[in-house]
Amino acid sequence: MGTESIPTAVETAIPPALVQFHQLDQLRMLARANSLWPMTFGLACCAIEMLSSGCARFDLSRFGAEVFRPSPRQSDVMIVAGTVNKKMLPAVKILYDQMPEPKWVIAMGNCAISGGPFAYPGQYNVVEGVDSFLPVDVYIPGCPPRPEALIEGLLELEEKITGHRRWPRVKPETAVKG
Amino acid sequence: MDRAKIKRELEKLAAEGLPAEQPQEVAPVAVQAEAEGEDKAKAKAKKEEDVPRKNGVIETEYAKRGTHLDVQINPDQVVRATEILDGEGMTLEMVTGVDWIKEGQFEVIYDYSYPGGQLFRVVVRARVDRNKPDVPTVCHIYGGANWHERETWELLGINFVGHPQLEHFLLPEDADFYPLRKDFKP
Amino acid sequence: MSTLAQSQLRETFELNIGPQHPATHGVLRIKVVMDGEYIDRAEPILGYIHRMHEKMGENRTWNQFWPNMGRLDYLSAIAYNHCYAGLVERAMGIVVPERAEYIRVITAELNRIQSHLLGFGAYIMDLGGFTPLMYAMDEREQILDLLESVTGSRLTYCYFRFGGVYNDIDDDFITGTRAFLKRFRPQIPMYHKLVTGNVILMDRLIGVGPVSAELCRKYGATGPVLRGSGVNYDIRRNEPYSVYPELDFDIPVYKECDSMARYMVRMDEMVQSCRIIEQALNKLPEGPVMAEKVPKSLKPPKGDYHYAVEAARGTFSMRTVSDGTNTSYRMRLRSPTYSNVSLFEEASRGMLLSDALAFLGSLDPVIPEMDR
Repeated sequence: MGTESIPTAVETAIPPALVQFHQLDQLRMLARANSLWPMTFGLACCAIEMLSSGCARFDLSRFGAEVFRPSPRQSDVMIVAGTVNKKMLPAVKILYDQMPEPKWVIAMGNCAISGGPFAYPGQYNVVEGVDSFLPVDVYIPGCPPRPEALIEGLLELEEKITGHRRWPRVKPETAVKG
Repeated sequence: MDRAKIKRELEKLAAEGLPAEQPQEVAPVAVQAEAEGEDKAKAKAKKEEDVPRKNGVIETEYAKRGTHLDVQINPDQVVRATEILDGEGMTLEMVTGVDWIKEGQFEVIYDYSYPGGQLFRVVVRARVDRNKPDVPTVCHIYGGANWHERETWELLGINFVGHPQLEHFLLPEDADFYPLRKDFKP
Repeated sequence: MSTLAQSQLRETFELNIGPQHPATHGVLRIKVVMDGEYIDRAEPILGYIHRMHEKMGENRTWNQFWPNMGRLDYLSAIAYNHCYAGLVERAMGIVVPERAEYIRVITAELNRIQSHLLGFGAYIMDLGGFTPLMYAMDEREQILDLLESVTGSRLTYCYFRFGGVYNDIDDDFITGTRAFLKRFRPQIPMYHKLVTGNVILMDRLIGVGPVSAELCRKYGATGPVLRGSGVNYDIRRNEPYSVYPELDFDIPVYKECDSMARYMVRMDEMVQSCRIIEQALNKLPEGPVMAEKVPKSLKPPKGDYHYAVEAARGTFSMRTVSDGTNTSYRMRLRSPTYSNVSLFEEASRGMLLSDALAFLGSLDPVIPEMDR
């Protein structure tokens, strides 16, 4: 399949700039974190929850991440929502490489984290975790994760980008029981 | 769709396929009665062919099995059986391959149902040698068989002779294994 | 144009759609040979989400295979639960209590409405209208709340057990379902007002993607695709399972054979599902929800078994070959969209590319279910 010839993300990391503009970088990161554009990249069950989180009730646009782009060249964050198998792996790599820097990866769901229910000794077709070929920033466990979990994952990513949390963290014991 | 006609014609077809060296067992009625003792027959059969079940038609109980007619024929008769069922307006629902590794055989199972209203399910099965698994294709009769046969070829390695496109379908293009074979090791 | 001139002018090129493309409902890839704007040959390529369900059926015990049933067609997972439960109950001869069967039907029909709602919203979104998706998802979330309260999950249900269901429904669920039906019933005419009468939609759907009944028969297409071609075939009616024979409902059939007919079948099925749920709630008997004496380790007798149910997208059937042990010898899953999409290649010949994508959407594929 020629998967070996596709360079992995780690090899193609951009070297740091010679002159650093720390304050300016922080400002830019703040701008980026407040409008993450995810890529419409639904693979399996998790894609439906990703769709749900963008629609009525959960409304991802409250956090500035509702602009799902079908093209990798217009997106900042790749949400790997579903199982990646050996046939899909080269396509995922190419999609990641087509995204412009800076870019982030969210592994959504157990399949993307570790292969989930499809990882067992003797399996022949599922890639056990996208972190084997992509640099994953945030892991969201669940099968599939609830839309709230995806929103929390995006907030975690924001925190990772800017260094501070924009929204207060909700403790489970203080959350309103509905 | 005429149930009695389908049964009659398939019985005739299955009787044609019975091995000629056992003329005393040709009658299909006898085969039906014998089918209950399938396991005993399997234990007895120590011949080089080692066939667990004789060709023939069995009327199965729908509530227990989910099918009405259970037909076993030779692989070279598959096309004729398909023509009979197609002529009666049945539809091919799926093609299944089973690896009987102990007997050294593959079994190909065709499931038919009737979309016209009456409930009638026919299952046609044929056994082929595991070392030379050649079954004629039925793509030219049922277009839907194309994908099912291609998948069965890919996952089990049963060769459908005359199939227009036996290429990799579900697995990557460079896959060189048959995952549903019982001796498959990843 | 004479054939000679045609052959001289004819110049085809290949176009690759997918596997990552917003119009293909997931990771379906279509290799299209185009003749100008028209399709010469469109070959779907599968396997980008092949997850070895059939192999797992051979490796896991009968009980361990349950979670896979929620992950085949994640939009109508309860129907798949139903098929697997029915298959093993048939093999083992387990009799299910009546209350459990009613609960199965109620949840399955709620699940069907939910699936058709998402299908409706996503289909209109494919055609360029974003608003209906928001309406559909609003209703859908309410169904998911109801189902979550009894099953514990939002999408990938693993609710049924051999011999019944895992959890009895409570009064909150029943009153919630009744309230939902009361609210949802007037929504469907509203959807028709909002979407169906739209001239652009009608232009894009009426007469597009003709699929004759004979083509459906040759390809084994079922579900709304077959019923949109004028064939009155529904497993719930033709091969009755569970308590469907005791309930009164109609099978919507449209004779137009086009994308609009398939769309209308789905819309009408939602109304019928509401009727089924209402009747089932009225008839719901008291009693246990699990059969007694279901063995912990199941060992169905030797032989092979078949069971079919009507999922939201057509006939889902399973064939299992049991060798008398606690795992299946061979587990075959017949997924409805696999057969439905297999006719795409033949039916899309000569179509405009934009029409072909509208046609593909009307087949309503769920890719992980096709690839299994």
